[in-house]
Amino acid sequence: MQVQELVGIVPWTFIAQILNLFLQIYLIKRFLFKPVNEMLEKRKAKADAQIQDAEKAKTEALAMKTEYEQSMQEARSKANEILATAQKTAATQSEEILKDARAEAVALKAKAEADIAQEKRKAVNVLKDEIGDMAMEIAGKVIERELSEKDHEKLIDEFITNVGETS
Amino acid sequence: MELDISGARIFLETPIELPVLGKLVISETMIVSWLVLLIITGLCIWLTHDLKEENISKKQAVAELIVETANKFVIGNMGEKFRYMIPFVAALFATSAVSNLIGLVGLRSPTADLSTEAAWAVLVFILITAQKIRTSGFGGYLKGFTTPIPVMTPFNILSELATPVSMACRHFGNILSGIVINALVYGALAVASSALLGLLPGIVGDVLSKIPVLDVGIPAILSVYFDWFSGLMQAFIFCMLTTLYIANAAES
Repeated sequence: MQVQELVGIVPWTFIAQILNLFLQIYLIKRFLFKPVNEMLEKRKAKADAQIQDAEKAKTEALAMKTEYEQSMQEARSKANEILATAQKTAATQSEEILKDARAEAVALKAKAEADIAQEKRKAVNVLKDEIGDMAMEIAGKVIERELSEKDHEKLIDEFITNVGETS
Repeated sequence: MELDISGARIFLETPIELPVLGKLVISETMIVSWLVLLIITGLCIWLTHDLKEENISKKQAVAELIVETANKFVIGNMGEKFRYMIPFVAALFATSAVSNLIGLVGLRSPTADLSTEAAWAVLVFILITAQKIRTSGFGGYLKGFTTPIPVMTPFNILSELATPVSMACRHFGNILSGIVINALVYGALAVASSALLGLLPGIVGDVLSKIPVLDVGIPAILSVYFDWFSGLMQAFIFCMLTTLYIANAAES
């Protein structure tokens, strides 16, 4: 079999190798770079879309958070208002109740004093009558004589005074 | 013991004959080049078949890695405006690397034929020159030879021509030297094992001395350097120089 020289340029081989290289460029472009670059491009688009979605979701979440905070604030202020009203009402009511109670107490005390005074007077009257009767009886029994109107009266008074002094 | 290191074999000699070009012959270089072409294209098709956007397979990851490495290499060395050069550089690297490594399976590397490297280097030279003319115009390109002083013109022309020659010869020399050293080592080891086993007495020694026992294993270690390292390194250097020369031409 024939062989070429070890070091030498064969024109046909030279041309063939240039054509081979051009063919290889086309083939590598067509079968490696084109599909892979297309795929990478697609993946990038997808990733971009996902990032956009995430940003949108974030914006929405922020809006929701603001809304939530606002409603929370409203609720808190409303609660404070209600509490304040309740406190005020309670204070007014307690004051009223106290006032009523005090008035009632005063009325009760007055009535009790009046009752006591009346009872006392009644008791004094009853005692007076009884003492009078007793005196009369005692006098009649002790003296057993008719007393003049004048003596009679004098005796009673004397007696009462004595009783008053002793009682 | 004779050692024969020759050029590529010629398989077919066609009757086609043109002036200057000579007879069209189908040599081992051409056949193996077509095989390399098929291997690379088949690999590309296999790697990029069934591409997905997510949950990717290992081979898709490899394909993406290759594409991204090629992009980074070209854009890093030449800049964004040379994006169209990516397939060229990638094809150059792949062809060179696979051509160098195909020697491992016993075929003759197409890169062990100077015609191959000369073809690539001339192509690169044309690209460099075209880039220079595009950058500074044809007049500017010619004027560039007279800098810094007109006396330098012959030397400038020489250095311009030296670029493709050095690129081609560097690559070719490295691959050829690997082949030559490998052949020498194989031959030497065969002689050594024949001498060693010939020491055995009688017919046993005669038979065993025909078998080059020492050729098993030892050349594989050398092959790690001469085929794997040198082969990939030369492909890388060739592409590196290509990108740097063209990027340089765009700047000046």
